[in-house]
Amino acid sequence: MAVTEKNILNRLYFVVACLFLFAGAILFKLVNIQMVQGDKYQEMAMQRTEKMFTIAPNRGNLYSDDGSLLATSVSRYTIRFDAVTVKDADFKENVVPLSNALSRMLGQSPSHYQQLLRKARVNKNRYALIARNLDYSEYMAVKEFPLFNKGPYKGGLIIEQKTVREHPLGKIAERSVGYERVDENGYYTRVGLEGAFGEYLRGVEGKRLKQKIAKGQWKPIGWDNIVEPKDGYDVISTIDINIQDIAHHALLGQLEKYQADHGCVIVMETESGEVKAISNLGRTEGGKYYERLNYAVGESHEPGSTFKLMTMVAALEDGVVDTTDVIDTHDGTWKIYNHRVRDSKWGGYGKISFAKAFEVSSNTAFAQVIHNGYKENPDKFVNRLMSMNVHRELDLPIKGEGKPVLRSPGDKGWSGLSLAQMAYGYEVSMTPLQTLTFYNAIANDGEMVKPRLIKEVREWDRTVQKFDKEVIDNSICSQETASKVRDLLKNVVEKDYGTGHKLYSRNFSMAGKTGTAQKNYVSKDPDKLKYISTFAGYFPAENPKYSCIVVIHEPDKGVGYYGADVSGPVFKSIAQKVYASNPLIDEVEMEEVEDDRLENNYQKYYAEAQKEYRKVPNVKGMSGMDAISILENLGLEVEVKGNGKVRKQSVSHGTDIQKAKKITLELS
Amino acid sequence: MSGKSVLKRVDWLTVLFYLLLVTIGWVNIYSSTFSESDSSIFDFGTLHGKQLFFIGASLASIVILLALEANFYERFSSLMYLISMVLLLGLFVFGKTIAGATSWYNLGFFNLQPSELAKVATAMALAKYLSDIQTDIKRRKDQLYAFGIILLPALLIIPQPDPGSALVFFSLSFVIFREGLPLYYLGIALLAILTFVTTLMFGTIWVVIFIALLLVLFFLLKNKKFKVPVFSLSLAVVVTILFSLSVNFVFNNVFEQRHRDRFSLWLRLEKDPGKLEQIRKTIGYNTYQSEKAIESGGFFGKGFLEGTRTKGDFVPEQHTDYIFSTVGEEWGFLGTSTVVVLFTLLLLRLVYLAERQKTDFSRMYGYGVVSILLIHYFINIGMVIGVLPTIGIPLPFFSYGGSGLLFFTILLFIFLKLDANRLKEGI
Repeated sequence: MAVTEKNILNRLYFVVACLFLFAGAILFKLVNIQMVQGDKYQEMAMQRTEKMFTIAPNRGNLYSDDGSLLATSVSRYTIRFDAVTVKDADFKENVVPLSNALSRMLGQSPSHYQQLLRKARVNKNRYALIARNLDYSEYMAVKEFPLFNKGPYKGGLIIEQKTVREHPLGKIAERSVGYERVDENGYYTRVGLEGAFGEYLRGVEGKRLKQKIAKGQWKPIGWDNIVEPKDGYDVISTIDINIQDIAHHALLGQLEKYQADHGCVIVMETESGEVKAISNLGRTEGGKYYERLNYAVGESHEPGSTFKLMTMVAALEDGVVDTTDVIDTHDGTWKIYNHRVRDSKWGGYGKISFAKAFEVSSNTAFAQVIHNGYKENPDKFVNRLMSMNVHRELDLPIKGEGKPVLRSPGDKGWSGLSLAQMAYGYEVSMTPLQTLTFYNAIANDGEMVKPRLIKEVREWDRTVQKFDKEVIDNSICSQETASKVRDLLKNVVEKDYGTGHKLYSRNFSMAGKTGTAQKNYVSKDPDKLKYISTFAGYFPAENPKYSCIVVIHEPDKGVGYYGADVSGPVFKSIAQKVYASNPLIDEVEMEEVEDDRLENNYQKYYAEAQKEYRKVPNVKGMSGMDAISILENLGLEVEVKGNGKVRKQSVSHGTDIQKAKKITLELS
Repeated sequence: MSGKSVLKRVDWLTVLFYLLLVTIGWVNIYSSTFSESDSSIFDFGTLHGKQLFFIGASLASIVILLALEANFYERFSSLMYLISMVLLLGLFVFGKTIAGATSWYNLGFFNLQPSELAKVATAMALAKYLSDIQTDIKRRKDQLYAFGIILLPALLIIPQPDPGSALVFFSLSFVIFREGLPLYYLGIALLAILTFVTTLMFGTIWVVIFIALLLVLFFLLKNKKFKVPVFSLSLAVVVTILFSLSVNFVFNNVFEQRHRDRFSLWLRLEKDPGKLEQIRKTIGYNTYQSEKAIESGGFFGKGFLEGTRTKGDFVPEQHTDYIFSTVGEEWGFLGTSTVVVLFTLLLLRLVYLAERQKTDFSRMYGYGVVSILLIHYFINIGMVIGVLPTIGIPLPFFSYGGSGLLFFTILLFIFLKLDANRLKEGI
């Protein structure tokens, strides 16, 4: 049944128009999502379906010089419980035995764990904490506990593994061992050895492309990692754990005794510059001491009297003074401009040699000598100090080294007083390690070596890099000067007038210089006046093996503040312990005793022993022992009479061995 | 009439479009069901292997369809309609349930979906009825009868439940429209859809205000010569308002939550972006994933078998209703636009073919084919790219599914046979 033509045509157009409209609408939408938003979404889609995963490398271990572990990475496990996934029957059956097992391992009472588990069950807690920081063996045991042995779904066991850095030595050298942290912005916080040698320890992160296959599940794409992870190297440091231990405890004891604010100790091997111990302890609010900041490396302060060594060396080198020159210390004060230099001894020392001035640590003597000796040309003094690298940073791999301060004439802060002040260690500033480096150079006959904390970088048993002694300056002063000042340093302890005589012991020798620097001396308030007690030196006094510095800040003035009292004992106990544990033994080399006759005998025996015999050999004249040995090797039964050389053999030579079963030797 | 002559007269352009679509479709099914362990493309244990088998079966059926007498189809259309209705009824007793819908007969090797057969049969039965010399579409009774032919299978299919397939039958009203259904039916249909959508989006109040404004405008502009059909107009207004009210009622009380959510998503009824995103990822999960897959394809696509979302089975039902997303991801805009253009060309060609028919039956059947293919094509792609709510119907010649492909082939090639025969018929 047809309709009119025109109507049909219109409707046909309508149909076709609809078709185009549909197709157009679909294409429009397609253009919109595939091309306009496409790029944006494509990226989003890629992110959601494919992701680059990083594979953390294992961090290398940090060892002491003898291979003891200072820091290592270990796995720690946190155990949690999903109380919902467990079936009622399983839970009821196992909750008591599980609690008992947990109690046995973790120490709390069984009822504690039962309550914990039941509460989690009631509260539908799917993430109840059971235990933290379990080690691997504990984790393996927990996996076998009742209920937990059913696994994550039936047993509700949730295990979270994390890698932590463990310090087997605990608090000892904690700060020096340090740490390295990286925040989410990739910013590193580097502290101590871990931070300093992070580039070796860290390793290289691996990269793996993974594809999302379901919610929270990622499947690796391809066979290989895009970047293979590379484990960090092991670092062998120079730290000697025995010395470190001694240093730590000696310092801690003294800090506690003097209620000091903080202190540090460094022990360094004289010849190589290897730092054997470095300890930094600071007081917390609670009055306990912990490794807090790396004072030894980071804290630059006015050294006080320990600087007299630098002054002395400079003055001797410049010929400004000699140790035998006599200096008048007046009545213990010397006025320069409006400033009064005082000696610690009331009334002064009278007229003394410059050597003695060092040994008694006379400020007035030093101030006068340096002021008068250099006042025409102060640059000379400063340049001399500079030539001894007093102004230089050590350029250590540990971050945050304190800057030394050494002013030159014309610098801001330089005044007419400066020379006198510098003479006894003010208006200059050095870190304990910088001071020690100088003392070590004196102990080392003028050769200044750079303190070093790293010995070797290893990958398993392969050496990646070895670190050798680094010399800063072959000779900071003449042998003569070095030898002179070493005598003075020795006298500080040995002479009964020396400032360090309290530390003297007949059993072992040590040399060093005390220092008692004032802090906050600008303030007029006597309460604010604080002291820094130092003892720097080396031991033994002859052929020094180790140099050491002890710096203690702000000891309780009521208890004491002199360097010899506060810091000296730490030095002494370190020296004592090092002596005790590393006794210096004279080794006698075994001499090779040459004896021609013995040698001949042996040669003869050897020649005979090498021959293959069918017949009994002639052993007359051989030593009994050799003869027995040869004959027994031939399978003969040997009987011996007497001792010495073979005089007679019962079976004559040339007899068939088979026939001769037994042979008697007469020795004489 | 020899087979050779049929081969000469068959419309090869349509056959070409058909073959292209089937081939592209299979390649994408292969991609979305492919797994590394598959040994051969002919492995009938795999889905793409099965589909390959059905492509073979479809090609075989083409031979039979073209070999049969052309007037066989017209003569037996009533019978086929009857048979398909019986089969639909039989589902209530013997049906096999897959994915919640009892739409299949289990025939052992494959599952027959009688609603697919019903599409062909209904298109033929409608053409047969409308082309009957007795029928006058201007008559109300005949109109109702024609709509009855369409509604019967739809009503039988809705309870399966398979509202998508049921919807397909309504597309056949397009045929009735083409054959002279008074225009106001179209007006009513459009008004109903408009009211439905605006009610959901803006509420009944705004619909009333909108109508009032229209009326005011209408009276202001009214031509004095034009007699205002006051009665019918006011009737229309009242019915519209009632309809609008009922839409709210039906939406809130008859629809299930998942239906409401689908509309919420489609019309962005949910204003809270958080909740909307939630719906997108739950109710709209399929669409969300398929949209993302298509988006990720970009202009050139990721390449054959390279679609990460396709391989990762991100898009559920991807090889069936969401096959278009595979095209989008792996072949990009180039692929999707090619498919859209191919479908459009095929449909235009079919419209052209329908218009050149000499007999009313052939023309009307041709329009039936166009309507059925068009609605599938439009709703399926619309759903996959997220412009239409989720209505689960396959993409013809493309989606995985044996009976689907077979009956779409039968649907198309009956028409090609009729077309090939048009000159003979005319003599």
